[in-house]
Amino acid sequence: MDILPDRLPWYITGPALGVLVVGLFLIANQPLGASGAYVQTMKAARRDTDTVGWRVWYFGGIFVGGVLATVLGRGFEWRRGYDAMSAAGWSPGVMAVVVFLAAIIMGYGARMAGGCTSGHGICGTAQRSPASWATTATFVGTAIVVTFVLTSLTGLGDLVMSDGSLRVQP
Amino acid sequence: MKNPMNIIGGLFGAGFGFVLAAAQLNEYDTIHKTLRFAEWDVFLLMGLAIGVSLPLLWVLERRGTTTVFGGRLSLSRSRIERHHIVGGALFGTGWALAGTCPAPALAMISSGAMYGTIAVTGLFIGLWLRDRQVERAAVTVPEGDGEHRVLSR
Repeated sequence: MDILPDRLPWYITGPALGVLVVGLFLIANQPLGASGAYVQTMKAARRDTDTVGWRVWYFGGIFVGGVLATVLGRGFEWRRGYDAMSAAGWSPGVMAVVVFLAAIIMGYGARMAGGCTSGHGICGTAQRSPASWATTATFVGTAIVVTFVLTSLTGLGDLVMSDGSLRVQP
Repeated sequence: MKNPMNIIGGLFGAGFGFVLAAAQLNEYDTIHKTLRFAEWDVFLLMGLAIGVSLPLLWVLERRGTTTVFGGRLSLSRSRIERHHIVGGALFGTGWALAGTCPAPALAMISSGAMYGTIAVTGLFIGLWLRDRQVERAAVTVPEGDGEHRVLSR
């Protein structure tokens, strides 16, 4: 359904995210973090008695909201994802290993730092927490350096054109 | 109080997931392009999200606003410690390679991209590994930062 454009512009989605952050503080006095929701979902799966139930609902909600935006916007289709990696000639197996190992490092780091892009990156910075600003600066800086090394070594970035289209493999 | 909070949690999750997917933050290509400065949308999005919420929260805090279920609005501010920097560096490395982070990985599956399931599985394992390490070493997890502070019910 073409009710939404393929991509809502940043000047709409950015403030919308900000309003959601403030809204959850006004209702529950809580930050809107995603990795905490993973932790609580894991606790719920283990039937821990101290599980924070609403964070499990929050976890499920992210998934549902994502489906809704996809159906109203660019349309739902089963696919692999990671088009730029495919275009760079990476095999599905290599892609799976890279994504899997990277996600483990990311989860470990998020738990160690006490938050992720949403918890520290948006909610923590909005609370003016020095720890959150330091964590955010560290992960953004590290990610930029790692991406630079990755594109230099593998040519991954060169295959993505500036207009977003993918250069066809020779 | 428990039930309304569950529904509110679900609704806020849905709103968050909706925005992430509508902004295509759930695409590897978007994150990869952002981190190599081929586009600026994600930085602008994050900047505006903070730009809207930071001043609003500041004003609400100063006015001593009472929240609906959580008592008086209390923002959490913590000192910078080593685990923030080391954890942040590990997180950034994974973020760059996987081109996704915890919430967008879920919204990636929502859009039909099946490799999102690999990312979500890996995230669970990584979070669990850190929890297990902390339990075994009997290290106290510092609280009061990001969203992993003492969570109310």
